[in-house]
Amino acid sequence: MPAEHHVMGLFTEESRAAAAAAKLRESPWPLLKVHSPVPGHNLAQALDSPKSRVGYFTLCGGIIGFISGFALAIFTATRWSLIVSGKPVTALIPFFIVGFECTILFAVIGNVIGMLTLTGLPRYDNLRYYDPRCSGSHFGILASCRADGLDGLTDFFKEQGAEVKVFD
Amino acid sequence: MTIDSASPKLTYANIDQTVLDTLRPATRPYWITVALLFLGVLLGAACWLYQIFIGIGVGGQNNPVAWGTYLINFVFWVGIAHSGTLISAILHLFRAGWRNPIARAAETMTVFAVCTAGLFPFIHLGRVWVVYYMLPFPNQRGLWPNFLSPLMFDVIAISTYLIVSSLFWYTGMLPDLATVRDRAGGFRKKIFTILSLGWTGEHEHWRHFSRTYLFFAALATPLVISVHSVVSWDFALGIVPGWHTTIFAPYFVAGAIHSGLAMVLTLMIPLRKIFHYEKIITLSVLENVAKTIVFTGLIVGFAYGTEYFMAWYSHNIVELETFRWRALGDYRIPFWIMVTCNTVIPLLFFFQKIRTTVFWLFGISIVVNIGMWFERFVIIIGSVAHDFIPHAWGLYRPTAVEFGIMLGSFCLFFFLFVLFVKHLPSVSMTEIKETVSAGENHAG
Repeated sequence: MPAEHHVMGLFTEESRAAAAAAKLRESPWPLLKVHSPVPGHNLAQALDSPKSRVGYFTLCGGIIGFISGFALAIFTATRWSLIVSGKPVTALIPFFIVGFECTILFAVIGNVIGMLTLTGLPRYDNLRYYDPRCSGSHFGILASCRADGLDGLTDFFKEQGAEVKVFD
Repeated sequence: MTIDSASPKLTYANIDQTVLDTLRPATRPYWITVALLFLGVLLGAACWLYQIFIGIGVGGQNNPVAWGTYLINFVFWVGIAHSGTLISAILHLFRAGWRNPIARAAETMTVFAVCTAGLFPFIHLGRVWVVYYMLPFPNQRGLWPNFLSPLMFDVIAISTYLIVSSLFWYTGMLPDLATVRDRAGGFRKKIFTILSLGWTGEHEHWRHFSRTYLFFAALATPLVISVHSVVSWDFALGIVPGWHTTIFAPYFVAGAIHSGLAMVLTLMIPLRKIFHYEKIITLSVLENVAKTIVFTGLIVGFAYGTEYFMAWYSHNIVELETFRWRALGDYRIPFWIMVTCNTVIPLLFFFQKIRTTVFWLFGISIVVNIGMWFERFVIIIGSVAHDFIPHAWGLYRPTAVEFGIMLGSFCLFFFLFVLFVKHLPSVSMTEIKETVSAGENHAG
């Protein structure tokens, strides 16, 4: 018999799942994960989660892109310092277009890197304590307990109106 | 308008069921369609190969019209690509709920349209094997591209647009790929497990995903406007009558969205019928697209009028002659097709009866697509065929090779789209679920 059990309460309504998550946070059982098919406002409030920091990655990407775009255009133009259409060799207005496009490109790449870093994706070993219904119509709250507390946790989820799934 | 107001019986479970049903093994008519489209792609590829072996002269481009159907199709397909981002990014920022059912297909349309558009500079290049000359990298020739040229702006802008729209499309699809993974079996499950990157819909996943998606939308919005502005500068920076105007950027952006919205209707209406999406892609959604087409059609019509006003107000005899010739000269038929299809016929959408009838919606969307192709014909061909010096005037006619390549491009676009709708979720299940009111029992 395992020393620790993983128990998931499956709800069909977000409001009930949010209420259960809030109560679970005040209980002795550790709340491990909350799965949902959509981003839930009630769940976010219940879990009191801070704002994502992905924007810092996006900002860094954008700054790198802006500098790189301008630098690329200036570097290539100064390899052969030809006057084109009477414009200066380092023409800031046309090069702003290259800088702008690179800003967007690198900001988006930073955005994706930020999301992958903060979410820990890609990851293929996280499906063990997961119920496939959570990507469809169910909200799953995963908690753990010691062997002697299994009945208590199961009863807790049942009281909240959940279907209970015990792993291990 | 939200989905639940139009379809009160939608639940999470039946949204999944409706979308996942589209991924069931395909029937014979589907594979026949795929085969026919692939034959069209092969025909286009054969024409291109013929051109590579014989030379660019097999196309009709020559003095004075050096930019023919290849550039027309390039601008046409880039334009088609734009409304995907309008729907997925700009309308997302405006919180327009009606865009949710069509956002995924519109984003997909964007990616495939940019891929198709991106082929045309290669085709037009003639010596396609030296295409890498456009890329800035250290080389033994000691040559570097010069970013003073609008054509080099285009290389950067289109490449950026392709990468950004592909990442936007794929990132937005992650939750849906996980839904497919959780209901698939065998080899298909393995494929979707890899594609979904281990997404489990954890609260932490959603917290960062929602923010990422918002930033994607915020970044894609200025990008989409800049890309077609850059495409317009390919023309506007040339000192050619009919091209060298400051209104080209907004004129091209409005035209791009106009054509893209029409293509959205062209694709969505059969998709809705074939895959029984009537409860999700409601008539109200199509009606809202039609209303937006009226708006963009009026902007495009205003731009046509402004071009004439500017020619008249400038008192420049070359400009005046160019615009007189557009309406009354050798290419008057394409011109009047353009005006009628893009600005007059879409006004029929002012009538509620017409914009809520699927037959008219589909028919007018095709008409607008034709009109927008001719708009590019009129702009690109008309100006260089009849510019400054009368003895240098000349006419252009596409050859069979060009028609073959054009047909191939259309087949390629629809071939990719038809493959997509049967193998990946063509409607965003997550975004539809978000529009269904919270608190209901979703398992029903």
